[in-house]
Amino acid sequence: MFRRKRSAEDFAEEIKAHLALEADELRREGLGKEDAQWKALREFGSLRAAQERFYMRRRWIGLDKLGRDLRFGLRSLRQSPGFAATAILTLALGVGANTAVFSVMNAVLLRSLPVADPNRLVYLRTSNPPRGTGTIDSNETFSYSVYDSLRKQTSGLSSLMAYVPLSGSKVAVRYGTQPEEAEGDMVSGALFSGLGVKLPLGRGFSEQDEMNRAPVAVISYNYWTRRFARNPDVLGQTLFVNGVPMTIVGIAAEGFEGVEGGGSTDFWIPLQSRPELNAWGNPPDEGKIYLNDSTWWCLRLIARLAPGVNRTQAIAQLQPVFQRAAYVGLDGSPMEGEKRPVLSFVDAKSFPGYDQMYGNPLRILMAMVGLVLLIAMANVVMLLMARNASRQREFSLRLALGAGRGELFRQLLMESAILVTAGGALAWAFAEMAARLLGRWAQIETSLAPDNTVLLFTLGVLVLAALLFGLAPLRTALAGGAELALKTSAATSNTDAAKSRSGRIIVALQMALCVVLLVGAGLLIRTLRNLENTPLGMRVEGLVVFGVKPNIPSVPAGVAFYRNLMSKLRVLPGVESVTIMESRLGSGWSNNSGMMVDGRIPDVANGSSNTVRWNVVGPDFFRTLGVPVLAGRDFVDSDTAKSQPVGIINEEFAKRFLPNVNPLGRTFGPDKGQATMTIVGVVKNHKYRSINEDPIPMAWYMYAQIPVIGEMQVEMRVHGEPLAILPAARKVVQQLDPNLPLIQPMTQRAQYDTTISGQTLFARLAGFFGILAVVLVATGLYGSLAYRVSVRTAEIGVRMAVGARREQVVWMILKDSLLLTVVGVLFGIPLALFVGRALTSSLYGVKPLDAVSYLVAVVGVAVVALAASALPAGRAASVDPMTALRTE
Amino acid sequence: MATQESNDDRIALLQGTLDLLILKTLILGPCHGQGVARMIQRQSEDVFLVDHGSLYVALQRLEDKGWIRAKWGVSENNRKARFYSLTPKGREQLVEKTSEWRRLTRAMGLVLDSGDGTQGQEA
Repeated sequence: MFRRKRSAEDFAEEIKAHLALEADELRREGLGKEDAQWKALREFGSLRAAQERFYMRRRWIGLDKLGRDLRFGLRSLRQSPGFAATAILTLALGVGANTAVFSVMNAVLLRSLPVADPNRLVYLRTSNPPRGTGTIDSNETFSYSVYDSLRKQTSGLSSLMAYVPLSGSKVAVRYGTQPEEAEGDMVSGALFSGLGVKLPLGRGFSEQDEMNRAPVAVISYNYWTRRFARNPDVLGQTLFVNGVPMTIVGIAAEGFEGVEGGGSTDFWIPLQSRPELNAWGNPPDEGKIYLNDSTWWCLRLIARLAPGVNRTQAIAQLQPVFQRAAYVGLDGSPMEGEKRPVLSFVDAKSFPGYDQMYGNPLRILMAMVGLVLLIAMANVVMLLMARNASRQREFSLRLALGAGRGELFRQLLMESAILVTAGGALAWAFAEMAARLLGRWAQIETSLAPDNTVLLFTLGVLVLAALLFGLAPLRTALAGGAELALKTSAATSNTDAAKSRSGRIIVALQMALCVVLLVGAGLLIRTLRNLENTPLGMRVEGLVVFGVKPNIPSVPAGVAFYRNLMSKLRVLPGVESVTIMESRLGSGWSNNSGMMVDGRIPDVANGSSNTVRWNVVGPDFFRTLGVPVLAGRDFVDSDTAKSQPVGIINEEFAKRFLPNVNPLGRTFGPDKGQATMTIVGVVKNHKYRSINEDPIPMAWYMYAQIPVIGEMQVEMRVHGEPLAILPAARKVVQQLDPNLPLIQPMTQRAQYDTTISGQTLFARLAGFFGILAVVLVATGLYGSLAYRVSVRTAEIGVRMAVGARREQVVWMILKDSLLLTVVGVLFGIPLALFVGRALTSSLYGVKPLDAVSYLVAVVGVAVVALAASALPAGRAASVDPMTALRTE
Repeated sequence: MATQESNDDRIALLQGTLDLLILKTLILGPCHGQGVARMIQRQSEDVFLVDHGSLYVALQRLEDKGWIRAKWGVSENNRKARFYSLTPKGREQLVEKTSEWRRLTRAMGLVLDSGDGTQGQEA
């Protein structure tokens, strides 16, 4: 762009030469020497001003012009505030929605763990657990003995860290007098040093802490902020965890919320050996806890590779150790035909489990908002094109008067930059709010605050928008050239067929995208409807549930505790009935195992699984839930350890394992054969883990007859508002033990709803984006039609003057938008088929080819198109030929 | 601010004309700034009084656009001077601007010469 730069001295030299030449000339014309010089100087005008102008154009030209363009741009936008507001708002919605979804995706799927050098971190995985072991996850959890053996192999790994939650949900803690609940993990002493997590206050753990089972705790920055208002004095204070005192010794770095997926850990303690601090909050199993029970694979492991060692080398070193350690405490070797488990590594760069939980929906949402953005941008482009087309004569006149095309382009670019800056700022504010809401709805506890990656993403989108908005209308603006200024009629200067063609293509494209979004939204919303209307098989209204985890020394004491608790709760005013259960309904958790029926492993017809979901429950269980007992009876208080062991099954159990016989009086029991229960009742199928589960054989044991007592869930049926009973219930629990909080109290309905919270959020967002798309398409279509009608006023006037009827004029306009709709739908449906296929795994009770969704989408687009055209068509029909012809 | 803006408009108009006049003058051959000013003045029969300061800024602008180029040389009376000549691009511009200008003036002329026609369209 820049040519050889000319110096100010050279310019001064030229002026001097000019003055000499001029003086020569004047002298030739007969002036005296001095007069000539003076006159030459005078005719030059202000010498200094000329030099200054020369100087200025070199130095300040850029900035000066920029300022001028900015003022010009602002002024010209101020002249059409409606246009400016629409464009800015459209852009803010489109970009804001994208930024919000992207920042969630970034936080959940893309962002690394906030640790040092995350590329060297790996999660340990096993192909399968050895036979005869129980696991939390058959590929991701290990026994303590495996951890202990691998840890001693120091050559491949620079550190190996184990971690395990103290509870499946939250654990009872107490700071001061009030019991509360928090999420806590037991971890290796090397956790903080191995991950490279800094502690801004206090210290982390050491190997020594783990050896000594030291009663110390580190709390998360988040918990410190939320619970302790960042008071530095908490260091040295005591936090009771399940009643065990722990001294707070450190606060973890901001942003580190543990290595558990989906939740945020509030505190960490070193691996402990006390029964009340067993892994997962389980009661000891036959006196064993995670430390000495090698059949319970319950620890997750994360490791840092040693410097200079790659994964293959590390695996090669660990594999034999692992395969030996896997059978420690299990007869030492695999059974006949059993495959030895194989150790492997996976990336620990991002949070585990998130991808599985949110990956697919988030990617689909991202695609959906991407389409929304396309529609929004297309709208703005059309608006700009219409606006600049109507300014064509202004541009032509300026070209004729000597303005460069570059100058016009700069001004258009500046206008679009103003729009994009304003829209972008609004979008950012909008996105921050939306991301926070999204996180709350999706129950993602990780911080979702937009970071630099998100900022870059947004800026990228905005720059793209600014260029697009500057370039697209330029073509239209300059198409006319200078001579257009000479055409005097607005009517004739705006009827070029070619120009409206690109506008029509854009509208048709928008329609197609709109169809896609509406089909996607339709499928997901129908999925949600199906889920919400799925009968649970019980009367869920009026039920409230909370967890209690007492410190119980023995099984009889536990039974006594719960009997006592239930009898106290039953007499509270407004309570209809009370029961307890081991696994909370609708929490996604269940106990599963194979079952013996009538003393043997049942033959199952056509290869169905013989897995049974079971639960340990209290008396009045089915009456409290409102599940109909089809035959026999419910559990009662008189079923005790001393009476006959009894069990209850559901229809599905009877159908699969005891077909064509009366199940009452038959027996069943766990396949290890420790206990045998006589069936005393058959109940109707109902939902156990989640709303969208299929019926599965289920069995229930009576809590008083099973030697497992730990945390139990209390279910209460009450009159009136269920949550209103909680303060009274809390008082009852704390009379029994002041250390006990109510763990995760909520209505049973809300508990079930958590199992579809992902789908709910997904469907709501998809619906929202669908509506957004419809609104954008409607405004875009309306805007472009209204504009086209307005420039064709004269033409319409002529048509009417020569005899066109109003219906014909209306039809002329409607035909146009109907044609666009048809084209849009034709292109949209194949695209929608594609999207439907991608959605398959997220649907429930709806096929990807759901006719209703497609029909609604097509009809929706058509209705929107007609509605958006109605007003411009009406305006066209009301054109008065005489006025139209006279407006010029 | 408003007055400043209207000033800009006036300059833009002058700018367009002055550029055209400079290009037209240079079609006759290379010439220095003072010569261009004189020539414009003479050929317009002294209607245009060229402000010399503006002239040099305009020359510089045209040079920046690549429509003219400049070289230091010696004038007929042996004075050092900067000589401007048309580039091929400048030639094209001259043709284009001239025809544009012709059409504009013709259109203006048509309108201005059409007498009282402005009122006669009703019937």
